[in-house]
Amino acid sequence: MLSETGRRVRTALTLLVAVLVLAGTFVGQDDDFPFGPFRMYATRDDPDGPVMSTRVEALDTAGTLRVVDERSTGLKRAEVEGQIRRFVADPELLALLAQAHDRLRPTEPAYAEVRVVELSYQLADSRPTGGQSERVVARWTR
Amino acid sequence: MTSWLLQPVCLARIAVLRVIVYLFIPVDVLLTTTFVRAHAQVPGELYAPLRIGRLLPLPTPGPWVETLQVLLVTASLTAAVLAVRDRLPRLAGWVVAGLYLQWMVVAMSYGKVDHDRFAFLVTLFVLPSVGRAGLRSTGRTQAAGWALSMITLAVVATYTLAAVAKLRFGGWDWVDGATLTRAVLRRSTPLSEPLLDVPGVLHAAQYGIMIMELLVAPLLLVRWKDPRRTWALAAGFLGFHLMTFAMITIIFLPHCIALLALLPLERLTVRTRAPVAA
Repeated sequence: MLSETGRRVRTALTLLVAVLVLAGTFVGQDDDFPFGPFRMYATRDDPDGPVMSTRVEALDTAGTLRVVDERSTGLKRAEVEGQIRRFVADPELLALLAQAHDRLRPTEPAYAEVRVVELSYQLADSRPTGGQSERVVARWTR
Repeated sequence: MTSWLLQPVCLARIAVLRVIVYLFIPVDVLLTTTFVRAHAQVPGELYAPLRIGRLLPLPTPGPWVETLQVLLVTASLTAAVLAVRDRLPRLAGWVVAGLYLQWMVVAMSYGKVDHDRFAFLVTLFVLPSVGRAGLRSTGRTQAAGWALSMITLAVVATYTLAAVAKLRFGGWDWVDGATLTRAVLRRSTPLSEPLLDVPGVLHAAQYGIMIMELLVAPLLLVRWKDPRRTWALAAGFLGFHLMTFAMITIIFLPHCIALLALLPLERLTVRTRAPVAA
């Protein structure tokens, strides 16, 4: 059996964690990790609107088009998307991805150009209509 | 509430769970979540520290992340051995919990926060509080009970509060949106891609997810007279995560490990009752 103190401490900790995670859920943001809202896939997409996706790609010095992902730069697509406003406002930041690639993949040809491409798929009644468009939203050239 | 929270649980369950959890960490850190180590090479300008990273004096990730990885793996393997031998559970457990939390700050501070870690983090922090627990110990204690209750609460919160977040960010008509269509468009697999042509299935799945998270998950909190109901529910949720993986290659692996706590793990090491004669 637990001592009176052991019981009290555990009950108090339970309430504390519950309050934090409930506060995070109702008014918190991702910033409040690990108590932030569990918001993966929580936003709603319009069944008759466009859905957006992002692609990060690079042209290397050999002229080959490369996919930029966490294996090549240490940054996941979702992380680039999470900071996309910074990249759009200051495309020079994409040089940092080229730098990370140099460090992670020293034997591969370096990136000569990095670009963030926003893809938009048009939906009608939750079904892709086939209509899609691409737009370069940030570009950096070495 | 206190009697629910502190309902005694078999110590062997805690011991087996410790071994599983501490052996899982090297798998997570070295194989299934490799992007964290790669953050060591990302220039510090792209580090966007979370509140916890700003409150605690945590350094900007750099090459030291690779040292942290070695420390974390070594500490976890040591904790697993100590769990088998039932030695130093508090010290070993809390060292691992602290290192893993730091690892998570490095993981989540670059613009994307995942939600598969809450129950696992709670598990790491409550397991040491039980104190000594032998793999063959049939004793039942309130300390073990509290640890299991906390893990159960965290697992259920991950589902139920995810439904609440959908209502908060997506609104009441989240279920009638096209969120899963977007998910499949972004991360399709051969299994899920054909579903884009039958949006009714994805639409129905959104209702299914909402019902499951909001209404079915809390049933895990019920201490059923027949514990097989809890086991079946836990197995059902594990199946849900496997299906999600098949559809969009996202799996809540650490969460699934925490979910294992709801299964009668002690049966792996303790014979609970004599075999029934035919």
